[in-house]
Amino acid sequence: MQQTKLSRSLQKNLQILQNIFGSSGDFYTKELAISGIPCAIVMFTGLSSPEKLCHLALDMLDRNPVLLGGSDGLCDYLLTQSLVPAEPKPVEDWNSFVEMLCNGMTLLLINGSTKAVVFSTQEMPQRSVSTPTGEGNMRGSQEAFTELLRNNLSLLRRQFRSDSLVAEIATSHTPAKTEYCLCYDKHVAPKETIDHLRARLAEIQLPLLLDSAYFASFLKQDKMNLFPAAAYTERPATACARLCEGKAVVLVSGCPYALVVPSFFAEHFECLDDYASSAVFAGLIRLLKYLAFLLSVFGPGLYVTAVSFAPEVIPIQMLTKMAQAEVSTPLPPMLEMLSVTLLLEIVREAGLRAPQAISHTVSLVGALIIGETAVSAGIVSIPVLTMAAAATIATLAVPSLYEQSILFRFAVILLAGTFGVLGLACAALVILAMACGSEPFGYDYLYPLMPLTRTSWRDGFVRTIWSSLAGSREVIGHHET
Amino acid sequence: MKRESPSLLAALTVGVLVNVLLRSQSAYWPRAGAATALVCVPALAWVGWFFSWAWRQGSTPLLRIAFALLLFYTSALELLRFWNLAQRLYPGMVSLTAVCFMTLLPVLYLRRVSAISQTAHVVLCLLVLATGFMLLTVLSRLHLTNLQTQPLQVPDFAAAAQEQFTLYPEYLLPVLWPRQEVKPRHPLLRLAFLSLWFDVGIHLMLELFYGAAMPLRVDPLHAAARCGALSVFNRLESLQLILWAMAVTLKLALYLYAMCRLLAPQESQGSSVRLNTFPLYIGGIWLTCVILRKTEIEIAMQTRNLLTWGLVLLVGMGGAAAWLCKRLRNFG
Repeated sequence: MQQTKLSRSLQKNLQILQNIFGSSGDFYTKELAISGIPCAIVMFTGLSSPEKLCHLALDMLDRNPVLLGGSDGLCDYLLTQSLVPAEPKPVEDWNSFVEMLCNGMTLLLINGSTKAVVFSTQEMPQRSVSTPTGEGNMRGSQEAFTELLRNNLSLLRRQFRSDSLVAEIATSHTPAKTEYCLCYDKHVAPKETIDHLRARLAEIQLPLLLDSAYFASFLKQDKMNLFPAAAYTERPATACARLCEGKAVVLVSGCPYALVVPSFFAEHFECLDDYASSAVFAGLIRLLKYLAFLLSVFGPGLYVTAVSFAPEVIPIQMLTKMAQAEVSTPLPPMLEMLSVTLLLEIVREAGLRAPQAISHTVSLVGALIIGETAVSAGIVSIPVLTMAAAATIATLAVPSLYEQSILFRFAVILLAGTFGVLGLACAALVILAMACGSEPFGYDYLYPLMPLTRTSWRDGFVRTIWSSLAGSREVIGHHET
Repeated sequence: MKRESPSLLAALTVGVLVNVLLRSQSAYWPRAGAATALVCVPALAWVGWFFSWAWRQGSTPLLRIAFALLLFYTSALELLRFWNLAQRLYPGMVSLTAVCFMTLLPVLYLRRVSAISQTAHVVLCLLVLATGFMLLTVLSRLHLTNLQTQPLQVPDFAAAAQEQFTLYPEYLLPVLWPRQEVKPRHPLLRLAFLSLWFDVGIHLMLELFYGAAMPLRVDPLHAAARCGALSVFNRLESLQLILWAMAVTLKLALYLYAMCRLLAPQESQGSSVRLNTFPLYIGGIWLTCVILRKTEIEIAMQTRNLLTWGLVLLVGMGGAAAWLCKRLRNFG
């Protein structure tokens, strides 16, 4: 039925609509006559505004223009001659009709015509543009994406005021027909990458699309690789910066996070503040972030290896203190470290998922009971707790790699605790190989860090001064080897 | 930034450098090594070039299998050599199975040629940094007075030449790689140069460190690293071992990729090793290692060297014959 054309009979069309949406409380129809021709207005009250429709359209229709062409003449008049803000193309089949209706449009059915006129009267409840919650930045724009796709698009276009910005809106293959938008700069984005991405997105079939992250798994080449193939941002400014680098941004309706593809490892250590502060300070902060990532992944594992297998690497004074601490605890270092790290993760998860009112209590209980009491009772040693806490805090320095940091940390602790130095080497190489083997759309994931070139130091490990950076705009696909 | 067919030169370089680092005893006096390197570098590069030329003239399935077997045998020997080193450093703490598992597990993630290439760049950087760092920590113990001044004899040069003429499979592998749009210039010459001069440099460092006692030390490089005193971390051997384990794994991954290209050339036209080959590969390597665990590793290495030279000879003869046949047919 959905593919069939609209009938000429208004009553028949209304009957079909009644069969489809009759039981829905927000479905609204109103029959009226324009120039003596029976018509009907159809809309969803939650998505379209009757007041808007009234002000914009009905007062114009009330003028009852003298028409010569009957029903089709009325349709043509509304589309081409009248000042009514109708969409340029009428709807002729039920598939498009339902889609338009669900998009918040108001449709005018005309008796005797197989076309329905579409009015843009959308008025959906929405969250206003607020500040980003997950991407802390001191400088730059403080706007964040919201759930409404059109709003997000306008936020992006406001930052990227150029004719080269292309925003291709498409509907996903989901029962809910969720819309997504592929944005790119047509002058700098590699055509091959965009075509590939467009095709991949169009192929994806999902039962539900609630977040742009749902696409990420489909864009991965190696499913065994834990590094993400895409990055996310809730800042239009960051998305705009990525567009300038020739990358694509995917916005999904209902999701306040934009997906950036292809994404490289170094991006997780960059932020807008890097470019607003001095080059020296930005470079220092970036290096600190890399160190923090290494600490978060390898810190606990290194501790376990050093204490259990290679105590000779620890200076003697520190070794004495560690030995004293370890002697008083019942668990071996690996299990101790694993249990503390697990507990910290449980506290974090509980704090995140618990209702706002009690999340502070969870943190307090975690800090006091698990930290202070466990040490006092001699269940865990202070060095283990210190290292686990340092690793957890270090993870937060690179929040976009949080999942990876946690998973890698557990793997490193297990391997290093079981096999010692060799286990540490194995874990390090697996992580390195994962990073090196990740090929987002055929690009090096470690670009521009590896292989070491001038770019690695221009805007990689550190960033150079603006005058030098401005002269060499880094765009993906421009230095293909 | 985009990788179509990445260069594997870095991986080959790591492969030859790790041979120097994992050596259990010093092989020659650096003066003799420096003299023979002048001849050995171009000679080894020529052998590699000759092998490539002969291989392209027409490699038979039998030769492909022989080459793959050689690589498989070398992989097992590399693991055994590393296990021997680990046994000497941590007696009784590391089993052969653990070494096999720990070294072969990352190969799973190094099945893509791009991963091998990129990882090799990182490991190479780390190796150079670690070696430089190690040198810094032992700098105070390097004494010019340790340099030996007695005149070198013919056996000294012969020992250096014999060591430097060790033909590692890395010199033969470039012929198997897919064609690249941008080829590195003189890859074999660069490889031989880096390998042999790095070896000479390490020997010089060992001579400055140990003096006349250099030939007597077991695991001289590792023992030198153990003496490196730093204010925070007293001994760097663990750091070195981690890097060497990474380099060995990278070498194994490179060999596996080459084996796949040899045994299933039509399947490995892509740029990765298929996942379903791993159970067989890991099981096979582990079993070979278990069988060869009692073998004297130095003798096995020498046998491997002879086998490699034998393969070069066979391929060379085959290639020359094929070339001659083509010429005769053209004349006919």
